[in-house]
Amino acid sequence: MSEHPNLSKWTELAEKQMKGKSLETLDWTTPEGIKVKPLYTAEDLEDMESVNTLPGMEPYVRGPMATMYAGRPWTIRQYAGFSTAKESNAFYHKALAAGQKGLSVAFDLATHRGYDSDHPRVAGDIGKAGVAIDSVEDMKILFDGIPLDQMSVSMTMNGAVIPILAGYIVAAEEQGVKHEQLSGTIQNDILKEYLTRNTYIYPPEPSMRIISDIMSFCSSNMPRYNTISISGYHMMEAGANSVLQTAFTIADGIEYVKAALKSGMDIDTFAPRLSFFFGIGMNFFMDIAMLRAARFLWHRAMSGFNPKNPKSSMLRTHCQTSGWSLTEQDPYNNVIRTTMEALSAVLGGTQSLHTNSFDEAIGLPTDFSARIARNTQIIIQDESNITKVIDPLGGSYYLESLTSAIIDEAQKIIDEIEELGGMAKAIESGMPKMRIEESAARKQARIDQGLDVIVGVNKYQLANEKIDFEIREVPASVRDEQIARIKEIKSTRDQAAVDKALADLRTAAEGGGNLLEAALPAVRARATVGEISDAMEAVFGRFVATTRCISGAYSSEFVADTRAIDNIKNRTNAFFDKQGRRPRMLVTKMGQDGHDRGFKVVASAYADLGFDVDISPMFQTPAEAAKMAIENDVHVVGASSLAAGHKSLIPELINELKKIGGEDIIVVAGGVIPPMDYDFLYEAGVKAVFGPGTPIPDSADKTLRLLEEKYLS
Amino acid sequence: MLKSAEVYVDGVKNGNRLMLARTITLIESALPAHQELAREIVDRLLPETGKGVRLGITGVPGAGKSTFIESFGTMLTGLGHKVAVLAIDPSSSRSGGSILGDKTRMEKLAINPDAFIRPSPSGGTLGGVGRKTRETMLVCEAAGYDVVIIETVGVGQSETTVASMVDFFLVLMIAGAGDELQGIKKGVLEVADTIVINKADGDNIQRAEIARKEYETALHMLMPASPNWSPRVLTCSSTQSTGIDTIWNTVLDHRNKLTQCGEMAFKRKEQALEWMSFLLDEGLRAWFYNNPEIKKLLPTLKHDVENRNTSPTAAADLLLKILTQ
Ligand SMILES: Nc1nc2c(ncn2[C@@H]2O[C@H](COP(=O)(O)OP(=O)(O)OP(=O)(O)O)[C@@H](O)[C@H]2O)c(=O)[nH]1
Ligand SMILES: [Mg+2]
Repeated sequence: MSEHPNLSKWTELAEKQMKGKSLETLDWTTPEGIKVKPLYTAEDLEDMESVNTLPGMEPYVRGPMATMYAGRPWTIRQYAGFSTAKESNAFYHKALAAGQKGLSVAFDLATHRGYDSDHPRVAGDIGKAGVAIDSVEDMKILFDGIPLDQMSVSMTMNGAVIPILAGYIVAAEEQGVKHEQLSGTIQNDILKEYLTRNTYIYPPEPSMRIISDIMSFCSSNMPRYNTISISGYHMMEAGANSVLQTAFTIADGIEYVKAALKSGMDIDTFAPRLSFFFGIGMNFFMDIAMLRAARFLWHRAMSGFNPKNPKSSMLRTHCQTSGWSLTEQDPYNNVIRTTMEALSAVLGGTQSLHTNSFDEAIGLPTDFSARIARNTQIIIQDESNITKVIDPLGGSYYLESLTSAIIDEAQKIIDEIEELGGMAKAIESGMPKMRIEESAARKQARIDQGLDVIVGVNKYQLANEKIDFEIREVPASVRDEQIARIKEIKSTRDQAAVDKALADLRTAAEGGGNLLEAALPAVRARATVGEISDAMEAVFGRFVATTRCISGAYSSEFVADTRAIDNIKNRTNAFFDKQGRRPRMLVTKMGQDGHDRGFKVVASAYADLGFDVDISPMFQTPAEAAKMAIENDVHVVGASSLAAGHKSLIPELINELKKIGGEDIIVVAGGVIPPMDYDFLYEAGVKAVFGPGTPIPDSADKTLRLLEEKYLS
Repeated sequence: MLKSAEVYVDGVKNGNRLMLARTITLIESALPAHQELAREIVDRLLPETGKGVRLGITGVPGAGKSTFIESFGTMLTGLGHKVAVLAIDPSSSRSGGSILGDKTRMEKLAINPDAFIRPSPSGGTLGGVGRKTRETMLVCEAAGYDVVIIETVGVGQSETTVASMVDFFLVLMIAGAGDELQGIKKGVLEVADTIVINKADGDNIQRAEIARKEYETALHMLMPASPNWSPRVLTCSSTQSTGIDTIWNTVLDHRNKLTQCGEMAFKRKEQALEWMSFLLDEGLRAWFYNNPEIKKLLPTLKHDVENRNTSPTAAADLLLKILTQ
């Protein structure tokens, strides 16, 4: 086949409609750097390896199962958890009654990082971004009335994966459910934690061993259980474009496979239980193509290990719509965004899906917003007839071209990572993190210039934002409740048995025993999540991240109109001339939340704009941040908060600053802070609050204005 | 908003963290009024200085300087020392702003009550780094920090400036792929009191040992800068905290040896004099070039010399005479 016979005629027609402008001006370079034309034809598909294949068959581009949704639709699996186990359990029961099919548990940040609720470092985090779990007693409450032999349960846990998975297994035992009956997924994807989300506990090496131990325990005891969910979602949320998400996720997968093979397992015993987790954003066709490309690439990568079982090279995935794409402004628009993204995941052929609630940029989902989110999927499944045909976009000139382009681009990065010695080594080198941060900074710059449109944020903004729906907040009493329960457990358990079990676990950590197996007796004896984590930390140590920050990417993406950023640069220079130094700002992230995208983008962009920016280590307490602000003698502290800790952590920071004489240091706050909390923060002494979506030139302008008023007038 | 020198002096003497930090800001400031106040403060604090150990650390980017200081400094506070760290960050982008991330790699030390860490954008000139860092070091000593560590990246010239203000200069290296001596300037080795091969852990231990031997050989071929001290080559792992105590013992050994024979006192005097003559040179140049009449005459005379209308000697004479009038 060659050029369409009428193509030149079409070109003529099109150019006439363009009134003299060249057709090339309609080309679009995507954030991934892929060139997209306004029209695709059959010619584009010539010699394409990934086109015209069949579902359920290699290379699985069109789906891992032969019948896909025509046989059975994807699983509606909503991720939820907040406050206490009791509250979350009640929420699960309601959701299951209303059509949800699988459970997916969100844990709070203290649990993720292996701290019990009574630990002083985590006072601001208990029950906020997920449910607080301190012991198997909490686990039992969480799954009360939910038969674990029938319900597939997915758990997002990576750091404290040993005590949590052991807790789930023991809770099932005490329901009378055998290990082999358990089905579900544990995220257990530690590599991406070092890359983006930072909810790790131990250094990479022992963490990789934990993963191998879990794979090995489950392959012999829990054959229906997915031992890992290799996740690109958090990379996308951190700013990775779709090619980066695909490449890094597949590369992570390859690294896990190599680790398992190295520990002596046979490929076909564990590879069929590897599952994936992709994030789906607003780039509609791109992310459909991404899922198809990922299946192709995984099959290609796995073929290198010569599996006998076809399931070993079949990519099965869960998807979630992008939380980052949700806006605090005009929030009902989020229903539409989530619907688009859900459709993209479905047309890409996902095996299960979480759809976000429209209020998630503001607070925790309520019964109302959770219902709309769930119904988004039910309506696609039951009302639209989309499920009737397998891979309905297969063969589309455009989509197949995009699929092939992603395959090619991602493969280049995968090869690059192989050259560095695999993903673990690549992460050590800092390469993937830098790429993601660069991609995030560029995206921010496009949004701030209005090149990427976000309705309600940089186009058609509302004059008056009004919240006319209920907002769920986690009461501070959750922490007290948890602490009371820890006390009670510790006073009623057989302490000698706990001590022995923890000592045995430590021995296993030092020697070579299976850590999951060794943790089960400790959980049965009512050792807490914190105690079990500590026992292993005593041997492994706690990992400390190296924070590096890119510079230059933000301002270099400013191509169209540089007036806003030039204005700020001039003013920071003027500040220098009058004050003898540049405006100096400490950007800090307190509490256990490890999402550092906003914090990094701000640091890097402000430096580009002429600020001297100090960045604090992750996971700081307010007192530690205050010490740093004083020593570095900054003019202003920017506190980033994404996980609902702002109401306690930020006022505490202001207090700590006062205690050591830093009352003149200005404090501003940014991140996911619901509008109804602004006044509370202003009263506490915060001088400016920047909600999600605030363009950086705007926040920098306002911050600088505060400094100018104070120092230059 | 400026307070009197008194307030700063008392604050620093009392070890007040805030006042120490604000004094450093004055020292670093580009404003003449701030600099003047800073000079007065430093002068009045001078009697309180001089008792500490002054350490300079350099190495290529990523050698592990900050990680080393985290481990080293934590050990020192454990021994009862108070540690100040001055991190000079040479990076500044086109706009002039910079990202100061040193504390993210000194997480434990950053929250240690016996430690004070101050990252500084180097911003201005080389002389600037010299002046600011030297004075900052002095006020840290006056505030009771008995070990002052200066971290500087081993590119450019800041490391020789730093070497000329410390008692002990440590060069941190990593074992590379063979050509060890590439990438690091010979000049740096000449001023090193000890070379440490960092990251001697995991599969890297052997390579570090090989590199250690290579550096030892290389050092043998150089004339030691001091007759009383032959530079050593050691290995350590900053992440595992191994070999760190040996380095501190080496610093103490160096200190004992040089103190006993009087070289330490001599070195400090020498450094002070060198610094004074550097400042004199700088001052004279500034004085000369800022003279309005010279500013006016200089371009014409340059032109004349170029076109051989005047001899260089005559032109220089003429200009210098203006100053003495
Ligand atoms: N394996 C190993 N890694 C180390 C060691 N010391 C530092 N690193 C790693 O090397 C990287 C660079 O360390 P830094 O301490 O930031 O190096 P630096 O010399 O201060 O770097 P700049 O300040 O950017 O010039 C980090 O990823 C550290 O974790 C060590 O002893 N062993
Ligand atoms: Mg450093």
